[in-house]
Amino acid sequence: MKLNRRAIIGGITAGTLAFGLAACGGGGDEEGGSGDLASGEINASGASFPDAFYAAAIEAYAEVNPDLMVSYNATGSGTGKSEFGEGLNDFAGTDSLVKDDDGVEAGSFQYIPTVAAPITVSYNLPGVDALQLPQDVLAGIFGGTVTTWNDPTIAAANPDATLPDTAITLAVRSDGSGTTTNFSKFLEAASPDVWTLGSGDTIEWPGNAVAGEKNTGVAQIIQDTEGAIGYVDLADATESGLVTASIENADGAFIAPTLEGATAALDGAQVEADLSYNPLNAAGAEAYPITAPTYILIRTEYDDPNVAAGVKEFVNYLLTDGQDLAAENNFAALPTGLRDQAVEALNSTIAD
Amino acid sequence: MTSLNTAPDLTGRNLSKRRAFANRTATLLIGLCVLIAALPLLLVAWEVVTRGGSALSLAFFTEEIPRNYRTEGPGMGPAILGTLAITGMAALIAIPIGVLGAVYLNEYGKNKPLARFIRTMADVMTGVPSIVMGLFIYVAYVVVIGEKVGFGGSLALACLMLPIVIRSAEEMLRLVPDELRQASAGLGARKWRTTMSVVLPSASSGITSGALLAVARAAGETAPIIVTVGLTYIYKPDLFYGENTTLAAQIYRNATQPFAASQERAWGAALTLIAIVFLFTIVSRVIAARFAIDKR
Repeated sequence: MKLNRRAIIGGITAGTLAFGLAACGGGGDEEGGSGDLASGEINASGASFPDAFYAAAIEAYAEVNPDLMVSYNATGSGTGKSEFGEGLNDFAGTDSLVKDDDGVEAGSFQYIPTVAAPITVSYNLPGVDALQLPQDVLAGIFGGTVTTWNDPTIAAANPDATLPDTAITLAVRSDGSGTTTNFSKFLEAASPDVWTLGSGDTIEWPGNAVAGEKNTGVAQIIQDTEGAIGYVDLADATESGLVTASIENADGAFIAPTLEGATAALDGAQVEADLSYNPLNAAGAEAYPITAPTYILIRTEYDDPNVAAGVKEFVNYLLTDGQDLAAENNFAALPTGLRDQAVEALNSTIAD
Repeated sequence: MTSLNTAPDLTGRNLSKRRAFANRTATLLIGLCVLIAALPLLLVAWEVVTRGGSALSLAFFTEEIPRNYRTEGPGMGPAILGTLAITGMAALIAIPIGVLGAVYLNEYGKNKPLARFIRTMADVMTGVPSIVMGLFIYVAYVVVIGEKVGFGGSLALACLMLPIVIRSAEEMLRLVPDELRQASAGLGARKWRTTMSVVLPSASSGITSGALLAVARAAGETAPIIVTVGLTYIYKPDLFYGENTTLAAQIYRNATQPFAASQERAWGAALTLIAIVFLFTIVSRVIAARFAIDKR
C-alpha cells in the first residue's frame, strides 16, 4: 500500500517537474532521456559535517537529472543512524561508524566513504599568525593544563613568535558532534599520556572552555575572544576568516590544514574490508593529522526498486562527477583507489 | 449650592508640592518601564526588517528553496506553504477540541474530580518542552507509519496548542457573568442552547485571542518540526505524502550555515514568519469583533 502510493505520487511529482521544466526551458532532451534515469524522491538525513558538500552536489545533480529529487536533512550522525534503523530515510550520512546501540541492524548497511575534511585548530591571537602546535601541547591546551599563551611548552615550539601572557579560552561545541568525536579521538590516539578526558561526541571540558552551537558558533567565539582557541571544520574556518595553527603529524612534521594535507592523510590511512578507514594521525610526511572521514550508509536491501535505483544513481554521482565539487566547498576528494573501491561496493550492494 | 455647578478639579494642579512631585515621578517611572518593555520588541522588529527586507521580493514568496546554501537568490515558497498548511491543520485539530474541552470544564465538569484532573494535566502539558511533544509524535506516529510527513508536524503542533487553548478558553468562559446563563435559562433555553448562543458568543473574542496565542506559538516552533517533518525544497501541498518543511525549520537550517547567501534567506524567512503571524492576528481580531455580542 505504502509502496504503491509512493510510486504513484512520485510519478506524478516527477511528471509535473518534467512538464514544468520542458515548459520553462523548452529543452527537448529531457523527455527523450528520462527513460534510463531514475525518477521520484530520495530522502536522506544524517551528519551535518558534510552538509555543505552534499547541498552543493544535490543542486548540481538536479541539473543532471531533474526528475529525481534528493533531499539531505542535516540532523546529526546519531539521528541519521537511528532514522536509518527505523527505515525513515533512504540513505544516512554519518561521521562515526555504526555501533551496537545505534539501532542499525548489522548486515543491513554498507559504508560508502564520500569525502573527508581537515578539522582546523583555529585561534585568535593578534600578532601571532603561524602558530605550530606539537601533539602533546595541543592535548595540554585542550586538557586544561596549559592555561596561558606564553606557557614554556608553546614558546619552545614557536621560538620566533612573541607570545603574550593572555589567558587561553577554549572554544568548544555545546551540541553533540562528530567533529568533537574526531578531535578527541585524535588527541586520545596522539597523546595518550597527556590527554585524559576520553573521546566522544561530548567531552567534560576544563573550566576555561566556552561552548558554542555548531561550527559557526565556535567560529564566532574564536572571532570575538582574544586568546581563544578552538576546533572548527575547514569550511567554516575559511568562511569566517580564522587563523589556523599547524599541527604536528605522526611523522613529526608541522602541517597546516589544507585539502592537500587531508588527501595525503587519506592516502596514508588503512582501509578496512567494509570500507571504513581511520585517517586520524595517519602516516605520511605531508598528512594533516586531524582529518575526519565521513560516510554514507546505504541499505543492502530496498523495498522499492525505484528508490534503490535513485540512491544508486545519486551516490554514484557523488563518487564520480560530484567529487569535482569537493574542493570548492573545502572538502577533500577521495583518492582514486578508495573511490574505485567505493563505486565497486555500491555496484555490488545495489545490483541493477 | 453653587459648588455643584463647577466640576471638581482633577487635573492635579492644586496638589501640594510633595504630592505633585510624587505624582510626576511615578508617572515618569511607569512611562520609562513601558519604554523598557517595548524596547526589545522594537529592536527585534528593527533588526529583522532591516536585515530581512533586502531578501524579500515576489520571487522570494514563490520560488522553490535553493538546494545549495551558497546559491544566492530567492526562494522560500514551499516553506511558506508548509507553515500555512501544517499550522493550519494543527489549529483545525486543536482549537475545536480545546474549546469543547473548556466548555466541559467550565459548564459541566466544574469541580468534579475528572475536571480537576484534566485541568491539572493541561497545566502540566503547558510546561512540557516542545521537543518532547515532537519526540512523542515521532515515536507514536512517524515511526509507526514509517515515513516523515507534514501531518506528523501538525499533530505535534496540535499537542502543543491544546493545553493553551483549553486553559485560555476556560478562563474566558469563566468571565461570562452567571446572570446571562440564568436569564437564558429563565427564557426556557436548554443548557446546550445557552452555551451555544449565549456563553460562547460572549466569550468569543477572548477565546479567539487565546487560540491565536497558541497558533502564533506553534507557527514559530522549530524542534518538533525538524523531528517529525523532515526537509524538502519543492512544493508539497499534500500533508500526507512526502517530507515537508516550514519557515521556522528553514530559518534554523539556513542561519546555522556560515554562508552569506543562506543567512540572508534566513533573515528573509524570519521577516516573512513575523509578517504571517501579524497578518493572521489582525484578520482574526476583525473576525472576532464581527461575531462578538455588543457589550453595551
